[in-house]
Amino acid sequence: MSTPILSVENLSISFGGLTVIDDVSFIAPEGGRVALIGPNGAGKTTIFNLLSGVYRQDKGHIRLGGALIDDAPSRARIGLGMARSFQNIRLMPHLSVVENVMLGQHSRADRPGGMWAPLKLFGRSPARDEAEALLADMGLGTWPGQEVATLPYGIRKKIELVRALAARPRLLLLDEPAAGLNGTETAELMAFLDRIAGTGVTLLVVEHDMSLVRSLCDTAVVLNFGRKIYDGPTAEVQKDPQVLEAYLGPRHAGEDAHVA
Amino acid sequence: MSGYWAGLLTLLAINVVFAYGIYLAVAAGQLNLGGAGFQAVGAYAAAWLAFEMEMPLAVTIAASAVVTGVVGYLFAFPILRLKGVYLVLGTYAFAEVVAGVILNSDSLGGAMGMPVPTFIDWQVPVIAAAATALLCFYLMSTRFGLVVRAVHDDDLVADLMGVNVPRIRVIAFGIGAALAGLSGGLYAHAYSFVEIQNFNAALSIYVLLYVLLGGAQTPWGPFAGAAFFTLLPELLRAGLPALTEMLSALLGKTGVISTPDESWRFVILGVVTVLMMVFRPEGLITRAAIERLTHPRRRAKDTAVEVTE
Amino acid sequence: MLLLQQIVNGLMLGSVYVTVAVAFTLTIGILNFLNFTIPTLFMLAGMVGWGLAYFGLPFGLSGPLPWPLALAIGIAAAILCSLVVERFTFRYLQTKYGDSTEHAIPLVSSLGFLLILENLVRIAYGGDAQRFPGPSGDLTAEFGGLFFRVPQLVSFFIVLALIVGLAWIMRATRIGRGLRAIAENPDAAAILGVETGRVVPMVFLLTGLLCGLAGALFAVNYGEVSPQMGEDIGSKAIAGMVVGGLGSLWGAVAGGIVVGLVEILTVHFFGADAVQVAVWGALLLTLLARPQGLFGHNAIGKGKL
Repeated sequence: MSTPILSVENLSISFGGLTVIDDVSFIAPEGGRVALIGPNGAGKTTIFNLLSGVYRQDKGHIRLGGALIDDAPSRARIGLGMARSFQNIRLMPHLSVVENVMLGQHSRADRPGGMWAPLKLFGRSPARDEAEALLADMGLGTWPGQEVATLPYGIRKKIELVRALAARPRLLLLDEPAAGLNGTETAELMAFLDRIAGTGVTLLVVEHDMSLVRSLCDTAVVLNFGRKIYDGPTAEVQKDPQVLEAYLGPRHAGEDAHVA
Repeated sequence: MSGYWAGLLTLLAINVVFAYGIYLAVAAGQLNLGGAGFQAVGAYAAAWLAFEMEMPLAVTIAASAVVTGVVGYLFAFPILRLKGVYLVLGTYAFAEVVAGVILNSDSLGGAMGMPVPTFIDWQVPVIAAAATALLCFYLMSTRFGLVVRAVHDDDLVADLMGVNVPRIRVIAFGIGAALAGLSGGLYAHAYSFVEIQNFNAALSIYVLLYVLLGGAQTPWGPFAGAAFFTLLPELLRAGLPALTEMLSALLGKTGVISTPDESWRFVILGVVTVLMMVFRPEGLITRAAIERLTHPRRRAKDTAVEVTE
Repeated sequence: MLLLQQIVNGLMLGSVYVTVAVAFTLTIGILNFLNFTIPTLFMLAGMVGWGLAYFGLPFGLSGPLPWPLALAIGIAAAILCSLVVERFTFRYLQTKYGDSTEHAIPLVSSLGFLLILENLVRIAYGGDAQRFPGPSGDLTAEFGGLFFRVPQLVSFFIVLALIVGLAWIMRATRIGRGLRAIAENPDAAAILGVETGRVVPMVFLLTGLLCGLAGALFAVNYGEVSPQMGEDIGSKAIAGMVVGGLGSLWGAVAGGIVVGLVEILTVHFFGADAVQVAVWGALLLTLLARPQGLFGHNAIGKGKL
């Protein structure tokens, strides 16, 4: 078996004596689509913050493509191949669409030549052409010059994904990509994510919408109170008694209930 | 050119350079309320080199930028760990310490000030202002400029995008300090005298307001702000005595107390500041406004698409 | 003995700084707002008081007023202006952006008000220092070989009473609890039923009162007022607040006194010109080495600018 793109080994962190993540291990295989699910407060976003280096784990290791990245500062991790999106869209409100995407390229361009060469002043630049091409490729070529703050929510959501893609990541962390979208927008986003996964990018998705998880991801890791309680195929997740107990409480565990 | 216009042009040019110096820090999300301190460092560097060392003009002007840039760069490392109110206070304190040190050093003339031998007319400041503006437009069009704006909007996300946030802040602050110092060097030679009392807290406030009111989103902002508030009192010269008389009558004041004319300019600056913060806190010139001006039709088309979306 | 006398003088001077520092720390602690109009309110009370005692009411409605009345009106003017500042900075912001911690905009607004008020006073009363026609400041009392000027002593105890009262308001009253809730988290406070629209102006009212009173006491004590009188006091008060810790009431008290002592002792040992470096150097070192000051906690003032 080849080296998994992401391997999380015995990860733990506590805040003020409260253990938020407790000895969690899982892997994401190259090109896989892994869902990270669990009830509110289970520690999903905390895992994301540990992976992207916003927090440092107390114990355990994170490997990206087999290499330990425990000591890599948060800003270095995107350059190592791991990009992320945010629960509430965090695009730069005063940057235009194409500028946000160019910001996504930064980890590949942060060298003197890339830093001090103009992006616009004298006509075009390779960075801008590349960003506009990526946007057009993803069906978002209409608004390159517009400030993102003026665009609708669904569009901004996609632009944030394109910004992450501009870093050419091997692993994409998506924090509730469908939150705040209506039915049509969710369907569009699904198709969008399918295309991204089709390019060989590994997806790790935090999501509440189980139908989305089932159709997008092949494996699921379920967390409850910071511990892993399930790790296996998405199709089986709703039959697992521990998962049912976590979502519905002990008295429902025996019933044939659907996980919401 | 008459003396009046030459003087006005010189003042305008110096203010523009100064405003760009503060702008670079503000663009990266740092309110620099210590502008007067950096200008003073530059002015005294130039004055000392010209008066004590008898250096030529080119050297003193260059030195004013370089010395202040180095001071700003070194100061930026500890001070930019601070955020928000703490950073504002830290830069403010820097200016006060600079003023205090100069006041107490005999070799810089202390409270007496220092004469500056080489006089420059309006040409040098104007060239310097044009060069500064070009430099800032260029900087803001590069990836560095993009990243500066990103750091301003959201430093956490910028960090996760791979941006070395502290480094960007220090560089922006340092270049800004160099420009503020350059404006000081120009000041020293244009007015042939430096006196620390002129580099006071009020000056730091004015220049920060020029930048914020002009708009810190684009390099047009500081130019617009500095130009507007430098030229404003000239435009208002006629109406002011009447206003002053009205206020005196209101307060029952008799004619024994003379009124400094400069004051109206700052009252207006204050009123504009308050109104701008209420109605247009992002400043006079915004990126969106420029986009509308340069691409009116594309904008209209985009809006149509947005509606059908 | 001379040194001891200087320390007493430092304490007296410190008590003026304390009052203004408390005003600063109150707005920063509760609203996360560095209010630059504070030194101007201080000056306004003194200058308006002087104007009324020297010229009388506007439109020639009266001759010169007796100085206590004039100063009382001066304090009222400071409070009124402070409420106007609230109207244009804080209240407006809350309704438009719903984000009361975004403090760069009110800070800039307050710089605008500083320019307006100070320069209007300059236009109205001129830029020069004026002698305040109050009681003689030379009345002295002697305790154990140390001399106290009576007006200063009275001021000292007024300030002391005011701050103890303020601490009591913050701890024991409904308004105080509301203010502390806003300081913790403005959004949560609103959800918990604190009427921010009613409670926030209280901060500005108290600010106006503190600064106005300090300005009036200063006018009586030092017998001199000027449009610039706020600048020096304001910077010393800011320094005191930072040294004590942003947002801490007793920190501002301790910090104000420390700054008063540093100033007097610096003058004693190094001369008057060194004061600026000493006071601001102390502030800068505090910021760099221990930003939370003597008593403050780290959470305040770190918002995004």
